[in-house]
Amino acid sequence: MKINVMTDVLEANDRIADGNRQVFDSNKNLVLNLMSSPGAGKTALLERTASALKGKLRLGVIVGDLETTRDADRLEKQGIPVVQLTTGSACHLDANMIAVALSRLDLSAIDVLVIENVGNLVCPAEFRLGEDVKVMILSVTEGDEKPLKYPVIFRESSLLIINKIDLLKHTDFHMDEAKANARKTHPDLEILDVSCVTGEGVSEWVDWLCRRYREKFGASIRA
Amino acid sequence: MTGFAGATGRSSEPASVHEMAIARSIVDIAVAAAGTENARRVVRVNVLAGELRAIIPSQLILYFGLVSRDTIAEGSHLSLETAPLVGRCAGCGDEFSLKDLTLVCPVCRGQDIEMISGTELRVKDIEVE
Repeated sequence: MKINVMTDVLEANDRIADGNRQVFDSNKNLVLNLMSSPGAGKTALLERTASALKGKLRLGVIVGDLETTRDADRLEKQGIPVVQLTTGSACHLDANMIAVALSRLDLSAIDVLVIENVGNLVCPAEFRLGEDVKVMILSVTEGDEKPLKYPVIFRESSLLIINKIDLLKHTDFHMDEAKANARKTHPDLEILDVSCVTGEGVSEWVDWLCRRYREKFGASIRA
Repeated sequence: MTGFAGATGRSSEPASVHEMAIARSIVDIAVAAAGTENARRVVRVNVLAGELRAIIPSQLILYFGLVSRDTIAEGSHLSLETAPLVGRCAGCGDEFSLKDLTLVCPVCRGQDIEMISGTELRVKDIEVE
């Protein structure tokens, strides 16, 4: 006997993600799902963001990592609320992990919550966490052809941050090529050039965050 | 309610790639659907997976075999149908393959392209006894 099903395989995850989203919305959180390869600079960007956002928006972070609490330790030094999720062998975060982590954060004291996903360009793009927006980092040392190799993550992201631009002169990374490749799969993709070492581009990134926050809540930014 | 990995990540289950989480979800869906008809066991599960989902069939089938153990879907056959990437141009209506994911219409060079196939990931139907 045949039974018609027609159920989306990730429906269970998406249902939990929708629940997370409601919690975020009621707490007035703008939520980012931050994705990249390992070592592209997710934690470095968040360290920069923590100080650059001070007095504008209150930052909080959920960090996913296979092992160790090193990323969380680095971010806690910035004086922001951080929750570490050690995923063990999992290559991505899913909505249920986030749902469990929420009880460990005072969301009412956070304006921008960044979920730092596990370093990986394949799996994280598949699982919605309840975020408002997906942001990805590509570092210039990874190569300008990456958007062609991993189109899904570039397509799913609203903003691409090209990091480590201070190293451009030491690599054969072509900025125009990288951007053209990314926009082949995602014509409307927003792109920012950043160096977390020199701080170049960080203020544009902070402006972007403030704009997205205003777009979501309309309200004036709190101190 | 779901079979997704726990927050601590210290699960006793094998290494988890995205095929693992997807396999678990497929088993949950198949077992629930079989339950609505009081079936004794699931014989076959037909899944439609878009090309863009980057699923490795051999891995999905391997994990499906593992996570379906001790359920009424144990021993069932997982059949994977791949949906090709197809785009439709909003300008001229042309439909074309998006094999290299270049979102430009080959006929009118328009860039307003809708993906009409290739992103889905669905349990279509199951066969039960």
